[in-house]
Amino acid sequence: MNIRKNLLNKDLRLKIIETIINAKEGHIPSSLSIVDIINFLYEKKIKIKSPNDDKRDIFILSKGHGAMALYVVLNKFGFLSNTELKKYGDSKSALGGHPDMTKIKYVEASTGSLGHGFCTAVGSALALKIKNKKNTVYCLTGDGECHEGTIWEAANIATNNKLNNLLNIVDVNDSAKQLMPIDNLGLKWKAFGWNVLKCNGHSNSSLNQAFRKFKNFKNKKPTVILAKTTKGMGIPFMEGHGRWHHKIPNEEEFTKIKKLLGFNEKN
Amino acid sequence: MKKIRQQFAETVLKIGKKDKNIVVMVGDISHGIMQPFAKNNPRRYFNIGICEPAMVNVAAGISKMGLIPIVHTITPFLIERSFEQIKLDFGYQKLPVNLVSVGDTFDYSKLGCSHHSYSDLAMMNQFNNSQFIYPGSAEEFDILFNQAYRQKKINYFRISDFSHSFKFSKNKIKLGKGIKFQKGKDLTIICTANFLNDANLVSENLKKEKKTTEIIYLHTIKPIDKNLIIKSVKKTKKVLILDKFNFHSGLANICINLLKDLRNIKIESISINDFIHDYGSYENLKNKAGFSQKNIMLKVNKLFK
Repeated sequence: MNIRKNLLNKDLRLKIIETIINAKEGHIPSSLSIVDIINFLYEKKIKIKSPNDDKRDIFILSKGHGAMALYVVLNKFGFLSNTELKKYGDSKSALGGHPDMTKIKYVEASTGSLGHGFCTAVGSALALKIKNKKNTVYCLTGDGECHEGTIWEAANIATNNKLNNLLNIVDVNDSAKQLMPIDNLGLKWKAFGWNVLKCNGHSNSSLNQAFRKFKNFKNKKPTVILAKTTKGMGIPFMEGHGRWHHKIPNEEEFTKIKKLLGFNEKN
Repeated sequence: MKKIRQQFAETVLKIGKKDKNIVVMVGDISHGIMQPFAKNNPRRYFNIGICEPAMVNVAAGISKMGLIPIVHTITPFLIERSFEQIKLDFGYQKLPVNLVSVGDTFDYSKLGCSHHSYSDLAMMNQFNNSQFIYPGSAEEFDILFNQAYRQKKINYFRISDFSHSFKFSKNKIKLGKGIKFQKGKDLTIICTANFLNDANLVSENLKKEKKTTEIIYLHTIKPIDKNLIIKSVKKTKKVLILDKFNFHSGLANICINLLKDLRNIKIESISINDFIHDYGSYENLKNKAGFSQKNIMLKVNKLFK
């Protein structure tokens, strides 16, 4: 198996897997499908000075089981300490398999039960409109999460309240396809009155293009980006679906993983 | 007599003139009577439509951004249908909210079982950060809402279209404090909302037998006025709990837990034992559930045996 060409964020990928192996808990493939998107958001888009800063942009990870991708990015940008990250899954840790806003300052919503974070994002965007604020609310949902009824209830609320300060990114890693396929996901969002964009969720330039289009929309609709991703991206034997969804690699597998990410034993 | 629901509309209208942080969201219920608020505060009033779980969840987003959501619809849809949203988004996340339901146990008597609610106490009582407020009159609603709505808790107001017939001095109505409606020495009755009328009737009946009844009226069930209840039952040694909630986890259960260390006391209660499946008038359903004056007196007589 070869290293994937143009694979982004190899260091973050390794940190995700290492931390999950140490704690023996976590969803590796789900975290690998979204880590590039979250890193892009924090590197290029989200403006945040402090957790209570009124002017901060809001990011809500609605597919909470991808928490490790959020943790490593928060760690990278100095919002979460190395010590805290290393304690992940420990009884004294603030970090668990799903993020908890009451324990981590820079986590905007406690998610885990799918469909909740998205509605909270809609409410946050509505509150910003009420307060006449210019901040943007970003939300990341799964394509499987789009099975939840509250996603569509809140999508309708967002449209009716003209929440053009809301950008939802759907991680289209084809989870939905293997469970209960949703045909023409883009058309469904469009039918709910949203601007619909598509991009490659593992490419900064493609993400950048989609985000630029979002900023250039002159209408008052909320926007969704359907970001095509691969579950387990970067580790070919994990890519796709099935047994790796919630499985922890053994030592031999971890050695392979490191090689696939371009890290040798000495690293 | 002014309905409590009408008072809700008037109270938020008045508060909204001063407090620009309140946001009212309704699930297509009471939309008509909320129009004065809507007209005064077009950016802070939302008829969200018929999607209660999302409405409650969206309120969490509003709350986390520092505004004060007031969410209103029919009791079972606000509490039972949206319970995971209340539990996760407000309970676990410790976010404040005001939930104002309409329709208590028998209110929608002609509409059937989908519209009745009597498990909301069990559901809402379990959170560390919740308050269960059950005003029995328009005035009580106004006073208690003003006392509670800014407290950073899950403030649940359960309102009925059927008020009790009594008026208290305003300074007696304090969040978390019960009211000793009447002093007595032979029997304690613990009741809520319009069951105060029934408790009063029992008292009148017992007067004929030269027995006096102490009536403890609770407009707040959480926090509950533990001392008032214990002190009264210690004195009378007999208590009847008129419990408009589910038998398994209603007011009777709460009171029995409070009284468990008292010796030589007798307890009787009437609760909702099963699903209410029937149609009819408020009184029909109430009587069928065991709250006829005849049945209440049977329970009272048992206590005096």
